[in-house]
Amino acid sequence: MIELKGIIKTYRMGATEVRALNGIDLAVEDGEFIAVTGASGSGKSTLMNIIGCLDLADEGEYRLGGRLIGDYSERELAEIRNREIGFVFQQFNLLPRLSAYENVELPLIYQGLSLPERKRRVRNALERVGLFDRMSHRPSELSGGQQQRVAIARALSTYPSLILADEPTGNLDSKSGKEIMNILLELNADGKGIVLITHDSAIAAAAKRRIHMTDGKIDSDSAGGGS
Amino acid sequence: MKFTQSLKMAFIALRGNKMRSFLTMLGIIIGVLAVTVLISVVQGATGVITGQIESLGSNLLQVRFTGAEPTYLTKSDLKALEQEPYIKGVTGVISKNADVKAGDKSGSYGIEGVTSIYQSITGQVLERGRFICDVDDEIHNHAAVVGANVATDLFGTKDCLGNKLNINGYDFTVVGLLEASQTMLANKDDTIIIPLTTSQRLFADKEFSSLYISASSPADVDAAQTATDDFLTREIGANDDYDKYRIINQNAILDVMNQVMGVMEILLSGIAAISLLVGGIGIMNIMLVSVTERTREIGIRKAIGAQKSDILSQFLIEAVVLSVAGGAIGIALSFLALQVIGAAMGIGMTVSAGTVALALGFSAFVGVVFGIYPANKAAKLNPIEALRYE
Repeated sequence: MIELKGIIKTYRMGATEVRALNGIDLAVEDGEFIAVTGASGSGKSTLMNIIGCLDLADEGEYRLGGRLIGDYSERELAEIRNREIGFVFQQFNLLPRLSAYENVELPLIYQGLSLPERKRRVRNALERVGLFDRMSHRPSELSGGQQQRVAIARALSTYPSLILADEPTGNLDSKSGKEIMNILLELNADGKGIVLITHDSAIAAAAKRRIHMTDGKIDSDSAGGGS
Repeated sequence: MKFTQSLKMAFIALRGNKMRSFLTMLGIIIGVLAVTVLISVVQGATGVITGQIESLGSNLLQVRFTGAEPTYLTKSDLKALEQEPYIKGVTGVISKNADVKAGDKSGSYGIEGVTSIYQSITGQVLERGRFICDVDDEIHNHAAVVGANVATDLFGTKDCLGNKLNINGYDFTVVGLLEASQTMLANKDDTIIIPLTTSQRLFADKEFSSLYISASSPADVDAAQTATDDFLTREIGANDDYDKYRIINQNAILDVMNQVMGVMEILLSGIAAISLLVGGIGIMNIMLVSVTERTREIGIRKAIGAQKSDILSQFLIEAVVLSVAGGAIGIALSFLALQVIGAAMGIGMTVSAGTVALALGFSAFVGVVFGIYPANKAAKLNPIEALRYE
């Protein structure tokens, strides 16, 4: 469960300060599928960085599963990213020299799991996204949609409670994009919480709950509370 | 992340840039190759020269008379010297060069007039026949013991016992043949040895050119040298600035040699350290480039949960793998190089285990020292900025 209270984040761009998040209050239940939309520069990526424990807020409280993240050390943040959050990026962000198998295995190695356990989980995750027969291919030998499925498998392999997807269909054709959305919907049906960041309202329509951001603030929330 | 995983990652990364990895290693390869070859050559040469000096007899002293004035030491003087403490045996030698003929062959050879104990004091070994004996000396016998080269040059064969040769117009009979010398310093291969009294008559000169003195034991060589010096000062006067004689002590030669070789090794180690330093800077340079190129990869790794220490060890291990692999290749090449050099110089040379350990240890050290800064730079990258890096 995600709880954000009065989150403020300011970036310095040279001499000017940019307030990327200006007082965000948000509560997301376990297993919710929530889409965050907004124009570029509205602060949705910054919000994802904070929810994903890649960055800390300047002010306000962020609780993940009841724990106050603001006090966590770099080491603890890395551990949360590793165990509890799965990232899916617009750019896929696979390591080009590693095979699909090795890419999916990477977070499990950082977790320190044994070889047989890693093997079991990697195979399961790749099977789940339908790429079991492509596990020894490198990213360059896979289509964009397949690469994004590998990235989803990588996010799944650690059994996270939350998947953060930042424009996961942004670099894909509409057919592949639909496949990715279907996978995300299936995962949500299995109980995984999903936060989807997109500027595409058609994609956002798939989510049960939609949030719209403008200038670092939430200006509408389909769950109510917004206008 | 476990060490084996880091190692695997390092190999994947290095394999992806084969040419660059090789060129980076080249600095270390050349450094280690130069070091191991130079040190091994010095060690090999030291071993050979030390062996030659030691084969002279480690308890041997030689007195060379250098004065213009004759010293007129007699046999009874030598007997008196022999009575001095720490001295076991003394033999006087008359050395001259002379033209020698045998049949239609001739040449200029060193002639040494000696007594029978010369053989045991200087450790000469006979291949055939006998050495000069006391009777030869008493009757001024025209008997000669020839060196290996003399036999082959003058007679064309080592089967030369009983052959005649002519020194300064006097005929001599060959009674013995020395074994070919393994040393350069007590080399008698081009020498003809005759009885002392015969040589005194032959050259009309009674003065000893030099003395060979054996000490009671190798440990007593220095004491024997002092005793000899005192004795000669009493007999023939003060030896200021070595104007009358020079005492050559095998141990002193060995000490000087070892000092020279020690300095050589320090110098070579210095060159080694510099070349490895240059190699290390090459590694640091390429690792910094690599960290910049792989900023995005570092961001991805951090996003999916890599700890700072994971990134640090990954890049550090990469640097150490580069440097140690370079070191190993350098050592392998130096084995080949030493085979060639050893064959060319006629000296058996190998890389000692100590040199291998030193070279590998130093390469690893270089990898760590020059890898730590780039690795730390990678580990400290901010994941968000790294992910945004194009």
